[in-house]
Amino acid sequence: MFALLVASACDSSVNGGPGPDAFVASPDAAPPDAASADAAPLPEAPALAPTLNRLTQAQYRNTIRDLVGADVVQPPTLEPDSKADGLVAVGAASSTISSRGVEIYEQAALSLAEQVLSTPERRARVLPCAPRGPDDAACMRQLVERFGRRAWRRPLAADEVEAVVALGLASGGGDFLTGARYALARLLQSPHFLYRVEIGDGQRLGPYELATRLAFFLWNAGPDDALLDAAARGDLDTPEGLGREVDRLLADPRAREAVRNFFEEWLGLDELAGLRKDPNIFRHYASDLGQSAREETLRVAEDLVFTQDADLRELLRTRTTFVDRRLAAIYNVPATVREGFGRVELPPDGERRGFLGQVSFLAGQAHPTSSSATLRGIFVREALLCEDMPPPPANLNTAIPQPSPDARTLRERLEVHMLDPNCASCHTVTDHIGLGLERFDGIGRARETDNGALIETAGELDGTPFADAADLADVIADDPRFPRCFARKLYSYALGRTAGREDAATVRALGDRFDARGRRVLGLVRDIATSDAFRTVAEVAE
Amino acid sequence: MITRRSMLRGMLGGAVVTLGLPWLEARAQAAGFPRRFGLFFWGNGVLPDRWIPPSEGAGWTPSPLLEPLADLRDRVSVVTGMQLGVPNNVPHFAGAAGILSGAPLIDPYDNETFSVPSVDQVIAAKLGGATRFKSLEFGAEAGQGHSFNGPHSRNPPETSPHALFERVFGAGFRLPGDEPIVDPTLALRRSVLDAVNDDLRRLKMNVSGADRQRLDQHAEGVRALEMRLAALEMDPPDLASCARPDEPAAEYPDIEGRPQLAAKNEAFCELIALALACDQTRVFSNWFTEPVGNVLFPGATSGHHQLTHDEPGDQPEVFAITRQCVEAYATLLRAIQRIPEGDETLLDHCAVLGTSDISLGRTHSLDEFPILIGGSAGGKLRTGIHFRSAGAENAGKAILSIIRAVGVEAASFGADVGEVRDGLSAIEV
Repeated sequence: MFALLVASACDSSVNGGPGPDAFVASPDAAPPDAASADAAPLPEAPALAPTLNRLTQAQYRNTIRDLVGADVVQPPTLEPDSKADGLVAVGAASSTISSRGVEIYEQAALSLAEQVLSTPERRARVLPCAPRGPDDAACMRQLVERFGRRAWRRPLAADEVEAVVALGLASGGGDFLTGARYALARLLQSPHFLYRVEIGDGQRLGPYELATRLAFFLWNAGPDDALLDAAARGDLDTPEGLGREVDRLLADPRAREAVRNFFEEWLGLDELAGLRKDPNIFRHYASDLGQSAREETLRVAEDLVFTQDADLRELLRTRTTFVDRRLAAIYNVPATVREGFGRVELPPDGERRGFLGQVSFLAGQAHPTSSSATLRGIFVREALLCEDMPPPPANLNTAIPQPSPDARTLRERLEVHMLDPNCASCHTVTDHIGLGLERFDGIGRARETDNGALIETAGELDGTPFADAADLADVIADDPRFPRCFARKLYSYALGRTAGREDAATVRALGDRFDARGRRVLGLVRDIATSDAFRTVAEVAE
Repeated sequence: MITRRSMLRGMLGGAVVTLGLPWLEARAQAAGFPRRFGLFFWGNGVLPDRWIPPSEGAGWTPSPLLEPLADLRDRVSVVTGMQLGVPNNVPHFAGAAGILSGAPLIDPYDNETFSVPSVDQVIAAKLGGATRFKSLEFGAEAGQGHSFNGPHSRNPPETSPHALFERVFGAGFRLPGDEPIVDPTLALRRSVLDAVNDDLRRLKMNVSGADRQRLDQHAEGVRALEMRLAALEMDPPDLASCARPDEPAAEYPDIEGRPQLAAKNEAFCELIALALACDQTRVFSNWFTEPVGNVLFPGATSGHHQLTHDEPGDQPEVFAITRQCVEAYATLLRAIQRIPEGDETLLDHCAVLGTSDISLGRTHSLDEFPILIGGSAGGKLRTGIHFRSAGAENAGKAILSIIRAVGVEAASFGADVGEVRDGLSAIEV
């Protein structure tokens, strides 16, 4: 009966999606032959119907920054993002623009256009000519062609140019710059700016569409002139030319922003903006703790990917981190800088190491007044191992017992929970992981006891035993599902759609190669960006 | 209301008037005070044993949880004993979709979207064309809200009272009697929006059916903004009780890790009451807290959602929190009731639905679903009664009654297994 319940409730096959098995080897399967995985070509690229992804908030802001300058005041709010499969980049394929969104984008476009035309210095960023009067059509055309190509990420068709030029000239009322303002605002409100139009010809993306997809994957911003020029020359159609552009983009500081953005989405760090803890219980809490915690994890990720070019497993194993004074106090280590974030080494024999020892995870996946073995366990299953956890069945008594002399620690209380087979089917899967992290409280402080009783952390992850959190980090890092899950997440993120059944072979091959080559993130980024799958599309779906 | 004289002036005065016919029709037909719909939603349900009023019929006796409504008793009806018709496959989200849209979730693993529009948008589709804003969404701890135009098309709520104030009462708001705005940039902005609409129309020919729907949604927003700009060139609505509200505080910082729920909600309620009084919108939704919301309420020792599951015994903390949610609903009704309209009050011309995502939080149950209705929608709904369903009827029937009462001729509400075709006659006049 117990096995049956596990199968019915916590088996991902009920999900309807492909489930992890389609993507990753099971933990006890033989590891792929490193040499052959490294050398093997990717399978034939899956062809799926293209989607129209809306710019995410971050993509809008980054693209605007590149278009009009970092000193221009950006709109205070934007249409909210939505997530699918945990990723904003994938949610963008289904999110819409509400009528409030239309208002916001209109006000933003008018304000941005006004600002960038407000001083000669700013004007030079968008206006390549000196207007010879209010009706200087040639100059207006240069403005529209140049700005339009960057904003729409392709050259405008002749009739598109003429229509915008006409609108600009008609809107000036005797003033060229006023007309220019409306022309720019019109380009920035267009669906060609607000959505990524990557439709292809029924087989593959065109060069400008590929440039767009590359730029948003590698910069999380629109393409620059050089990338559009490369697209125009046909460079992106040759492996050498494509590789050259990918390397150029990855060498740009914007690539760091993009990698940070991926880690933020993958690890759910955006949720930390609303982190709330009861300060009567957690005296280290302050309303901006969530932002500090987010920044720590992003700095560790950036260091791992760019500075160290290290094995992804170091994300879980590293003793190096970057903390401000508040985080240093929570970790009980000396802060190395007075202001901002400084690099610190955590004690080599301590339980705290890697992402699972960071406040972003420990406090983020917890309750406002206590820890949560279940939330932490679910997060590990879903985000790090790509397992889909079903919601709890309805009409069950979900209460866990309060602390009592018989059951003081969370483990003891949850054991009662696990006596009920309806609960146990999933909670054994999640809670054993979370209970291994119980020596960190709901804000991430180390502790030895819970309600006065010593905390026991030993447990097992799908048959592999661990003694404590430091050990658990190794167990997850060494789990073959972990790098393959990462590959699947990054692939979904890059293509802006959930990796489905059709993608399974490609994702598995990318994961094998990633594994065989030492799990270097930038290597996987390059592999995805230069893969056929990245630019292959099917006909537009009806 | 707009007079024939001022309408003619608007048309002949040289201003560019490109209003769609529905807008004019709605204005011209508005006899008496408009009917409005409001939604007040809180997450994590109730404690049914302390929710259900002990007496049925008129003059209901407040239950412990409904005591905050004691002074509003003759303006509020309580509906109990009903259940949702949808499968309870995703705790909280199935219930939110069930009560608000009358339909199951598209995919039991996807809690990001409803499958059909939510009740506020069903109503706004009919009432929304007459006002500057088709609908307004806001809430103290709203999260993403659950106002859906259709699948994946959400109307995001304002979470700052000041932002809502700026949106409704900032630039573009005019008091009754104010002159139409003469501003040449309005025409320029509209010509830009026309061009954007062209882009949308052309792009639609190249994308998938699903993406076409998304672009249609976008185009609807563009049209709404065009109408709003055009309306500035006409006389503003001239309801006597219209006034510009005081500017709310810019921020409501947390106190002891706890959001200022009551204060923030009160600020929102003052704003929406005047937004209705000035006929800036006829449809709103107030997302007080969200499903699974784990907010620390004042006085609570844990987050709300956690307490619903973990608090032992008869859950005194959950009780206190649910009382605060009912109190916030009462705050909304009082703010609306304070505004006179003719011989009555604004509340008499509203139907304000109060509900949640589940019934009993601890078990995620969908039977004994909480439903409160404030106001009579211009005399179309019975107020001051407790109706208790003897046969665990589909709660969607009450929603359909509300939809019809505010003036939408709907044959049904909901879809699939949740669909209902009959209202709840016991609450109808």
